[in-house]
Amino acid sequence: MTNVLLKGIEKRFGSVEVIRGVDLQIDDGEFVVFVGPSGCGKSTLLRLISGLEHISAGDILIGDRLVNEVQPAQRGVAMVFQSYALYPHLTVRDNMGFGLKVRKMPADERQKRVAEAAATLKLDTLLDRYPRELSGGQRQRVAIGRAIVGHPDVFLFDEPLSNLDAELRVHMRSEIAALHKRLATTMIYVTHDQIEAMTLADKIVVLRDGRVEQVGSPRTLYENPANIFVAQFIGSPKMNVLPADAAPLLAALPATLSPAESVGVRPEHLMVVKPGEGILRGKVTLAEYTGAVTLLHVALADGHTCLAIYDKQEMPEVGAEIGLKADARDLHFFDSHGQATKLRSN
Amino acid sequence: MTQRQTQILYRTCWTIALLIVAIPFMFPFVWMVSAGFKSTTEIFGAPTLIPRVWRWQNFIEVFTYQPFARQYFNSLYIAILVTVLTLIISSLAGYALARMRFAGAGLLMLFLISALMVPEEVTIIPNFFLIRSMGLVDTHWPLILLPTFGPQGVMATFLMRQYFLALPKELEDAGKMDGLSRFGVWWRIALPMSRPALAAVAIITFLSSWNLFLEPLIFLSSLEMFTLPLALSNFNDSYGLPLWNLQLAATTLAVVPILIVYLIAQRQIIESFALSGVKG
Amino acid sequence: MEAWLFVSPSAVGFLIFFLGPLCAVVYFSMTEWNLLTQQAAFVGLANFEDALLENPDFWHVVRNSVIFALGLVPLNMALALTLALALSRPFFGVVFFRTVFFAPVVTSAIAWAIVWKFLLQGEGGFINQMLAIVGISGPNWLREPNWAMAAVIVTRVIKMVGLNMILYIAALQAIPRDYEAAARLEGASRWQIFRMIIWPLLAPTTLIIMVITTIGSFKVFDHIYQMTGGGPENGTLVLAFYIYQQGFKFFNIGYASALAMIMFVIVMMLTIVQVMLRRKGAE
Ligand SMILES: Nc1ncnc2c1ncn2[C@@H]1O[C@H](COP(=O)(O)OP(=O)(O)O)[C@@H](O)[C@H]1O
Ligand SMILES: [Mg+2]
Repeated sequence: MTNVLLKGIEKRFGSVEVIRGVDLQIDDGEFVVFVGPSGCGKSTLLRLISGLEHISAGDILIGDRLVNEVQPAQRGVAMVFQSYALYPHLTVRDNMGFGLKVRKMPADERQKRVAEAAATLKLDTLLDRYPRELSGGQRQRVAIGRAIVGHPDVFLFDEPLSNLDAELRVHMRSEIAALHKRLATTMIYVTHDQIEAMTLADKIVVLRDGRVEQVGSPRTLYENPANIFVAQFIGSPKMNVLPADAAPLLAALPATLSPAESVGVRPEHLMVVKPGEGILRGKVTLAEYTGAVTLLHVALADGHTCLAIYDKQEMPEVGAEIGLKADARDLHFFDSHGQATKLRSN
Repeated sequence: MTQRQTQILYRTCWTIALLIVAIPFMFPFVWMVSAGFKSTTEIFGAPTLIPRVWRWQNFIEVFTYQPFARQYFNSLYIAILVTVLTLIISSLAGYALARMRFAGAGLLMLFLISALMVPEEVTIIPNFFLIRSMGLVDTHWPLILLPTFGPQGVMATFLMRQYFLALPKELEDAGKMDGLSRFGVWWRIALPMSRPALAAVAIITFLSSWNLFLEPLIFLSSLEMFTLPLALSNFNDSYGLPLWNLQLAATTLAVVPILIVYLIAQRQIIESFALSGVKG
Repeated sequence: MEAWLFVSPSAVGFLIFFLGPLCAVVYFSMTEWNLLTQQAAFVGLANFEDALLENPDFWHVVRNSVIFALGLVPLNMALALTLALALSRPFFGVVFFRTVFFAPVVTSAIAWAIVWKFLLQGEGGFINQMLAIVGISGPNWLREPNWAMAAVIVTRVIKMVGLNMILYIAALQAIPRDYEAAARLEGASRWQIFRMIIWPLLAPTTLIIMVITTIGSFKVFDHIYQMTGGGPENGTLVLAFYIYQQGFKFFNIGYASALAMIMFVIVMMLTIVQVMLRRKGAE
């Protein structure tokens, strides 16, 4: 049973600090997603867990065992690389069996394991092909197959779907989810795509500049973001953030505004109404029709622009004056440091 | 031991091993300079790294023993001339082979590829008679013509062709739309974009002309016409035995400037050789 | 036709100084022609017969060339690959070492040979003086055929290994780092990673380097000229030097041309082997 514990992890490359103190608890069998903008240190953190990079400070425990000085191969982890890293001179069979072979597993046992994994991933007919003879999705499966055959305690995925086209990405996403359900192994998955994170994760870890911004279930992150960064990173299109003064215009509020400096409201929570007194007013500058809904770009009187999702049929014209409203429940308040805050009741 | 310590130990071992291997690569240069300053007696005495007596005289005798300054100049101007000629000719031909369609292009490519591999020793005999019939023996012409049009020039042509092929064609098309002729496109657009390849060709051509030996040996007979490598091999006494201190002083004079340029531009020079790939 | 303006300087020169001479050497090789006697006569394949069947010198030269190649090529490639493996990743000092190992490549072969000849003298040579310190009495390196061959091979390797080293470095740097990371995660040792992944992926580079180096070893001339002059007792007389000697020392133009043809055939065969192996590798 394998949990993973990170305590005060730091990583420097020379003088560049890439990971700046990460504490994290990952439970057995959990599907954890590291998400954050490109360059924030997701891959580095994953490579630290795998042992491919050596930590500068802190402790890593895998299955309650301190692994700071343990060789990557002895940590019981398997990794699926963004580039797949399939050896071009080996067949699918040999790629999948490589790790078992260097670990001196007998040939028949090896064959059995490879066949097993191939069956799970529907690779049976491709075993004698070379990676260059496979499509992107098939390569992706081989990379996963290679990780499966070793029966690792923890799977590590580094943006495994980012080289696939949109349709295949959705498909592979569901396959990975199914794989997790069947194996029930701890999985750590890195992506910069918040939709992937939301759909796959039991627990999301939002990273920024080598620090954890928030840890929580997808629902927690969506409903209770800890700060503006998380609020805007999770959810699409991203949350509108307006000066706190706008809040009373959007909804009836029982409390004073302090200490809030700004208010956030998601485009899908804005309701378009007739312009009127006491209501946030703006002018439609652009209407993007997507079929199911229309995305309205609204220029507010104070110069801010905000996005609203409009799902009714009759569309406001560009240039039309409209009013915006929201439910008080859907407003998020942030203090001057961008941290989430509650309004003081008086 | 922690991983970090193992790694440091591993690195240290490698570095020490590399330092040992580096000795025969560096030491000849050091010893060459040192011996160039020694007297004949000291050269054969107990080995000393720093000469006991600095004999600057050697460096004067180098110039009186044979017309070394003249020979130095010969090498320099020939190398520059060959480099310039090769740059022009190879970039013209390379451009045509990369960008133009013409009758005989395929055949020309085939011939050039075969020429790439044929050593100059194979054609040197007929070339000797050709040059002799032109009345160019004991002139610098063969040292200029043979490398420019031989395997060296062909290699330069290939290098340029490869580079031109990799350039985006849109820029040249834009040039054509602006009314440039083929020649104008080559001169104003393709060449300025190919500086790395031109630099590589220049570096490799210059060095190979500077170090050329077989052709000078065969075609040159008067001391004033000699180039450096031939002159260096010629510091012998009347019994044909080497005058070591003079020879090493002269070698120092020939090698050190090149080494200094190499140390300054090592990155560029090494990359040029990597780019050309073929040679050896 | 415009295109021919671009290629004509190159093509005309190529015709005059390469293709013409190449055809001429075929004809020359079938003549008995000695410059000293000023007589030329068509003799068909007699020169080749002479070389291959009658003249013991020829086979001696071939033997020397083969020994030279067999000594030089593996030594050069093994050293080049080792150095490249050590220097393909950035670490403190990597630029220094690359610069040092490549320096002899830009140096003239004559200069290099002069210095090594000086270092390898029998008496008073630096190498032997050093050996004497540890109690070894070194041979007279360049005066004993076997030692001379060994000395020429080793000094030539030191001169040229930098070139192959950078070709290997370029090839190593083109291998994605993830391959090694994946293999490490799967438990492969450094040696296993090299043996099972790096080495197979380097195969095309190794092949090219091998052919280039072998061809280069058959062409070696200036180095031998300056260090041993083909001696002692013709112990380092190799093909390129033999052609020079026959053609420009003894003026046996016909015979020397036949030798040049033989060299041409050897080089072409090596090139064809390379092309074929490459095709096979690509399949
Ligand atoms: N080996 C390394 N040496 C130096 N800097 C590195 C190295 N690996 C990553 N970095 C730096 O660390 C930062 C985080 O990189 P990475 O973990 O790959 O980001 P992500 O995967 O989140 O996009 C980047 O700024 C990157 O330049
Ligand atoms: Mg990454």
